[in-house]
Amino acid sequence: MDRSVSAKIKKWFTSWEAVMLGILLLEIVIFAAKNSKFLMPRVFLGSINDIISICIISLFVTFVMITGGIDIQAGSIVGLTSIVVGVGWQDGGLNIWAAAGLAIVVAALCGAMSGFFVAYCNVQPMVVTLGGSFLFTGIALLVSNMSATESYKGISGFPDSFIKLSKFKLFGVLPSQVLVFLALAVVAYILLHKTKYGRKIFMIGVNQNAAEYSGINTRLIIMSTYVLSAMSAAVAGIVLTSYLGTAKSDLGSTLTLPIITAVVLGGTLSTGGKGSVVGTALAAVVIGILKFGLPLCFKVSQQYLDIPVGLLLLIVVIGRALAANPKVSTWLRGKQKK
Amino acid sequence: MKQQSSGSLNNVLLSVRGVSKQFGLNIVLKGIDLDVSAGEVLALIGGNGAGKSTLMKIIMGIYQPDEGSLSVAGEQITTFKPSVSLAKGIYMVPQEPMLFPNMTVEENIIIGFKEKAGELHKRLVKIMDDIGWHLDLDRKALSLSIAEQQLVEILRGLLREARILILDEPTSALTFDEVESLFKIVEDLKAKGIGIIYITHRLAEVFEISTHVAIMRDGIITLKGKTEEFTREMLVKGLLPPNMDDQDAKEAKGSDKQLDYSNKKPIFELKDYSGYGFENVNLSIYPGEILGVAGVVGAGRTELATTIFGREKVLGGKAILDGKDVTGLSTAEILKAGINYVPEDRRLNGLFGISDVACNTTSSLLGSPEMGKFFLNKKREQEITQKYIDDFRTKVTGQEQLAGSLSGGNQQKIIIGRALSTNPKLVILDEPTRGIDAAARGDVYSIIHKLKEEGVAVMLISSDMEEIVEMSDRAVVVFQGRIRGQLSKNEISQASLMAESFGVDKKESEGGEA
Amino acid sequence: MSYLKKILKARAMGSFLFLVLLFFLVGCVNSDFWQPISIMNCFNDSVVFTFLAAGIAFVILTGEIDVSIGAVLGMSSAVGATLLRDGSSWQVAVLAAVLVGALIGLVNGFGVSVLGIPSLIFTLGVNGVVRGLIYVYTGGAWVENLPADYTKFSNQLLIGSLTVFYAFAIVVVLAAHFILTKTRRGKYFIAVGDNISGATLVGIPTRQTKIMAYVLCGVFAAVAGMIYTSRIGFITPTAGNNYEMKAIAACVLGGISLTGGQGSVIGAAIGAIIMSSISRILVFLGFSSDYDNTITGIMLITIVVVTTVMQNRAVIKTKHEILRARTAGSRGAQTEQAATEKGGSV
Repeated sequence: MDRSVSAKIKKWFTSWEAVMLGILLLEIVIFAAKNSKFLMPRVFLGSINDIISICIISLFVTFVMITGGIDIQAGSIVGLTSIVVGVGWQDGGLNIWAAAGLAIVVAALCGAMSGFFVAYCNVQPMVVTLGGSFLFTGIALLVSNMSATESYKGISGFPDSFIKLSKFKLFGVLPSQVLVFLALAVVAYILLHKTKYGRKIFMIGVNQNAAEYSGINTRLIIMSTYVLSAMSAAVAGIVLTSYLGTAKSDLGSTLTLPIITAVVLGGTLSTGGKGSVVGTALAAVVIGILKFGLPLCFKVSQQYLDIPVGLLLLIVVIGRALAANPKVSTWLRGKQKK
Repeated sequence: MKQQSSGSLNNVLLSVRGVSKQFGLNIVLKGIDLDVSAGEVLALIGGNGAGKSTLMKIIMGIYQPDEGSLSVAGEQITTFKPSVSLAKGIYMVPQEPMLFPNMTVEENIIIGFKEKAGELHKRLVKIMDDIGWHLDLDRKALSLSIAEQQLVEILRGLLREARILILDEPTSALTFDEVESLFKIVEDLKAKGIGIIYITHRLAEVFEISTHVAIMRDGIITLKGKTEEFTREMLVKGLLPPNMDDQDAKEAKGSDKQLDYSNKKPIFELKDYSGYGFENVNLSIYPGEILGVAGVVGAGRTELATTIFGREKVLGGKAILDGKDVTGLSTAEILKAGINYVPEDRRLNGLFGISDVACNTTSSLLGSPEMGKFFLNKKREQEITQKYIDDFRTKVTGQEQLAGSLSGGNQQKIIIGRALSTNPKLVILDEPTRGIDAAARGDVYSIIHKLKEEGVAVMLISSDMEEIVEMSDRAVVVFQGRIRGQLSKNEISQASLMAESFGVDKKESEGGEA
Repeated sequence: MSYLKKILKARAMGSFLFLVLLFFLVGCVNSDFWQPISIMNCFNDSVVFTFLAAGIAFVILTGEIDVSIGAVLGMSSAVGATLLRDGSSWQVAVLAAVLVGALIGLVNGFGVSVLGIPSLIFTLGVNGVVRGLIYVYTGGAWVENLPADYTKFSNQLLIGSLTVFYAFAIVVVLAAHFILTKTRRGKYFIAVGDNISGATLVGIPTRQTKIMAYVLCGVFAAVAGMIYTSRIGFITPTAGNNYEMKAIAACVLGGISLTGGQGSVIGAAIGAIIMSSISRILVFLGFSSDYDNTITGIMLITIVVVTTVMQNRAVIKTKHEILRARTAGSRGAQTEQAATEKGGSV
């Protein structure tokens, strides 16, 4: 028993999650050494809102990508959710929580539509969700036109209970956004790695035909992953609306690329069949800390931050491609022996 | 055995000398010598993994040999690239034609040429007239049948003025009529002085069209010479591993007993069952019986099996399992009802390559509560996986080993384990021993015998006639989508199966053999 | 005659008919739209997307994707515009921009084709780096005060109300179409996307072909960038944001399949016209241009779903027909048995 546990620990240390954790620790050490303010929880956690949407959504886009699909519409659903909450509450006269519930249902329907076309009509996921991102951005704008408030201003003046959602801090330190992220990460982890549903997602990504021959209803499950990722985008939209205190239709429009970056950086294979929630969560945090630490500790301008994130992605994928190359891997092994 | 036929020495087109190739620790070719002369049809036979396709890829310049040399019409080849081999006049028609589906036939043929399109068109039309083929050049390749696609590939080779044409199992996807017309074409090409390497699994074809024959096994050529110098038996002996004879005898003993059908009721029946690829199939299988299903590739056997398994639409008739109507159910429902299937194409439909052994073994159980209601019961999964690893003596480093890194035989054992994990009343095995080595083959046979003892009904689909003869209690032959013959234990012989598979009357075939 | 047939069968034809129908219907509602000038403006306004879509078409036809072209447009136009502002001639500026585009294309091609990294992911990374480099290069400021000679150029008319830029676009698209369909090496692009292992087998250099596609894509994006510079008159660091998605959408609307091997550059150009005319059309129909994205999304999804479903149906139908022919053969074979036996018993 002992041996298998130690073998498991050993295996974990050579896994991708461990590499991500290493990068994360390295970041923290470097940033903290440069500027001790970095370690102050208030500063550290205060900047969480810039990246919280990426963190939340990428957890569930991981599901989609493990089935071999891709979801580039999640960003547009954030905006749609936000404006549905705003218009539902202000112009529809709904209770704010009912409006939030409605927004989640709307998002689920959007995900179901795209998922249906991908799973049941065999349309390429990239095209469907590209179309979806146009459509949902457009619908969000039309919904905002239904409101008495002009769309560029956004809808504000939400009830205190809703605003408090994002102002709450557990033990006076942990912001509620982080709690939402952690809770969803646990849910995603259990769903993907501990249930039969999660196992089916992996099997579909590895070999959809073989999954069909094993009696798995692959289409329904593929469709469900798009619903889940849309619903997570809705949660992110609600959290963001609560934090900003304003509902706008164009929130989340720049999220698509960072989300995919986080998922791929987290070790998910873009061809499907491999990936983990822990990896994605760590990668999202790595990106978040990079975006937070560089300006704080190295005075890097906010606008340059696409470069390190892009470089990180490139270095990781190139490194992985080289490691998979037989010539390089035999060379590496030979070196290890010496 | 004569090593070289003296008559063709003067006109050698392709000469392979001492070619060896190794992938990692796996030695695939161990010093191959081979010659092909003008007007020669060299039949190259050998089981899967014998190294035929590696040798062909070296000849095509896709791989570089570790040792040895290759010369075409006396000129040594120094750089191994597809473009060099093509320029030297070598062309390979791959087993699965590799056309550009969205291009027209003409575009497919003339792509990659330096000459002007108009000139190529004239030459192409002339070649087609010469041989007497008529193919609509403006059709899109995706609308062609496999046989037509092969014609396009051959035309490509001819337009390139190929002097050496490699045909890789060209008949494996063809219907009977299409095979006939392909043979005529090969005869024409032979007469034109083109050297042909004809790779095949089917001994009957060797005698029908080849002038020379070579047999490969485990990376060496065990036999070669003029076809007329050999008999069927000699070729079969060359294909078998040296000490295979004893094992054969042992296997045969195990299944020699006649099954007792008195007071037994069939567990599974098909009544006028029709679908895409087969029609009006009637058959029944009894518990503890192995029903052999013979026939050539493309006869409709796999279509029959996958339709029973809920993968394709049923067009008519009924399927009854243990008194229950299971016609047209989904795969998940069929699994629950008690049928499981080991697919023909392991890589495409069976294996989860980048998943571990445990995931592979239990994937059919994900629909049943045995693996947990909502949460995955990992303990149960381990138990089930270990059971089949132990029972089948599967060679794995552990349950976490990735299935893709196992040998073909061990992969197949895992997939058979998966099929048994649902406790089926009927197991359909579709070519269960294709592409696995002799030892694993023996293991698979003992698994099947054990199933039989446990009272499971087994439907054994196989193109390997010897396998059907050895294993089956009863056999049916599928010919062009219909059941052509039902043979009882003592009627089953290679000759009778072969005759039925090719739609030949028994008398006729016996006359031919004698 | 057969040539006419070929044109009618082409995938781009569907998109062209769609465009004609669209213009016709809009004119029925508001006949002002039928004036040559408003039709011409639809064409003239699509010039930037025409170049972007035609460039990315090369990459998509080989079966890959490039999501960095928006950033390439931004970077190359920032470089070109800076040179113009500092007094260089327009030839030097365009040349510099094209070099920038070609260089980024080369990097993309190397990563995808030599290192074998999935194209979406690699170009995504490149997109991030180049987006950031635009800020580094411009210092986050707008590039303004461009010489009027250059910005005026976008209004230059050739004949009637056809701008010089769009005339140039037509020439380039026709040339690209000719290269892709008529020249030996040009045909390699579609062949590689259609069946890459088949392409290797007939001796096509698949790696070089893909690298070439990315370089051309970068060059086209750079040209689009310089035209964009002339039309807009200044460059912001966010220039070209999200343009990659619109260019991909234009290709899909123009009948190019994202799996590669199917479609044409002309289709991409037609798709670009449809994409960029929507907001203008909405105005003529009396709608707010806010419907732009919604209509684009609906059109995109409808077109791909309908064509995919139809294609899949056709594939399954052929498969079933082949299988049926086999069983039908057995009925015929029984009567012809005598003949086959003659051949078999030799």
